[in-house]
Amino acid sequence: MALAHASLIAGFGSGPGGAGCEALGVQYRPDAAELLDAVASLLEDDVIAAVPAHLQHQVRVAANLCRILEREATFGPANDAAERGRLAGVLGADDDRDLVSLRTELAAILADPAPIEPALDRSIRDALLATLRADLAVAKPGYDATTGAP
Amino acid sequence: MTERPNPDDALRDWLRATWQLGPDEHLHVGVVGQSTAGARRRNLVLEITGGPRPGRYVATVLPTADIAILSMVDEATIRMLAREHGVPVPEVIGVSVDESVLGGQFFISEFIAGETIPRRLLRLVREHDIGPRIVGQLGEAFARLHAVDPALAPAAIGAPSAPVGAALDAVSTVIDNLLQPEPAFSYALRWLREHRPTEPPQRRIVHADVRTGNIIVDHTGLRSILDWETAKIGDPMEDLAWVCTRMWRFGEDHFTVGGLGTVEQLRDAYVAAGGIWDEQRFHWWRVLVTMRWGTGLAGQAAMHLDGRFSSVVMAASGRRVAELAYDALTLIDVG
Repeated sequence: MALAHASLIAGFGSGPGGAGCEALGVQYRPDAAELLDAVASLLEDDVIAAVPAHLQHQVRVAANLCRILEREATFGPANDAAERGRLAGVLGADDDRDLVSLRTELAAILADPAPIEPALDRSIRDALLATLRADLAVAKPGYDATTGAP
Repeated sequence: MTERPNPDDALRDWLRATWQLGPDEHLHVGVVGQSTAGARRRNLVLEITGGPRPGRYVATVLPTADIAILSMVDEATIRMLAREHGVPVPEVIGVSVDESVLGGQFFISEFIAGETIPRRLLRLVREHDIGPRIVGQLGEAFARLHAVDPALAPAAIGAPSAPVGAALDAVSTVIDNLLQPEPAFSYALRWLREHRPTEPPQRRIVHADVRTGNIIVDHTGLRSILDWETAKIGDPMEDLAWVCTRMWRFGEDHFTVGGLGTVEQLRDAYVAAGGIWDEQRFHWWRVLVTMRWGTGLAGQAAMHLDGRFSSVVMAASGRRVAELAYDALTLIDVG
């Protein structure tokens, strides 16, 4: 089954989530990112202009959410793996731990008033900023590119 | 049951009684525009002819009293107090606690022409090159507001005895109750605790929501500061920090103060008008108010998820948390 599926996709070209994608064989194309792109385009190109004024803001927000989810479907798995690696690094933990337990452990250390060595503090801050930059690439691309004052 | 009279007639009758006009004296009130820009509030633009104060006014109506942060009477009192001390605020000419007139408490203030909608306002500012002037006028307005004796404020106004501690506790409580741990918030909260300043030497009346979006501007500069419902007694540096938060720049990120100008311009004007600037405290409040907004966005997402306020806009707030966490951590980074 999976082999037949793979050869079909190979035969019909590939999009951003196409051949080589981890989700291969789960569902037929379009994949999640491609479907969200289609829904976002419909909302942006046709629906906003067709709904009454009081709904336009909500439709614009909904279209933007589809764009966020489209990027999440594309970058999310790699972002999560990178965050797991960074958190495991600063915590000295195994990197097969799940993300929620790593985040919970770090949040608990930060909430504890016990002192944190400056070097560790620095590496925690760097790890958190790297994760936030990856989150922003999904939620608001370009937000971290500003050269102005914070 | 009788129908509520239309707002024109209801307001005319209320003004006739307020101004004690005789039966032969002419008075006409027409509602010539409306806006709901203040979210919960309704603003009716009025044209008044006859009587002692003909002209254009705005009736600001609070639909139900139970959601008021500050009663309309107290807000009107604060507005008049600020105006008497030279802060640009539209003059209030009447206040009503009688909800039957317009379906809620209201006050009437003079209509000030100009731009309030942020992107249009910033375009106007660019066309006339008046950003630095407006920032200077804001600094001066803050200094005047912060010079007012807080004993003159209405008794019902929020007045925490320790504004720094109260603000920190409020953010801390939200972070303790997040739907899932957010280490970036925990990091910023830890920084806020470690760098907590002493309580302010002088607690003063602060507006707490002066920003692009709450001011009226025309080609000559700043005309008015609006929306005084958040006013309280607090740390003056909170006002100066809030106007610098990134969301009020609407993309004009090279101008820290509301997309209009620089912190140096704000500080110079504030100090020149007698304000006492405390750089360390200012920086702490910048991180605090950024975190307060970030935790507020997380709260909006929670309200959507638990059904208190289901809306795609509230849901989307959850995906804006990273923006505020990023702002907080970059502020800490340069500090």
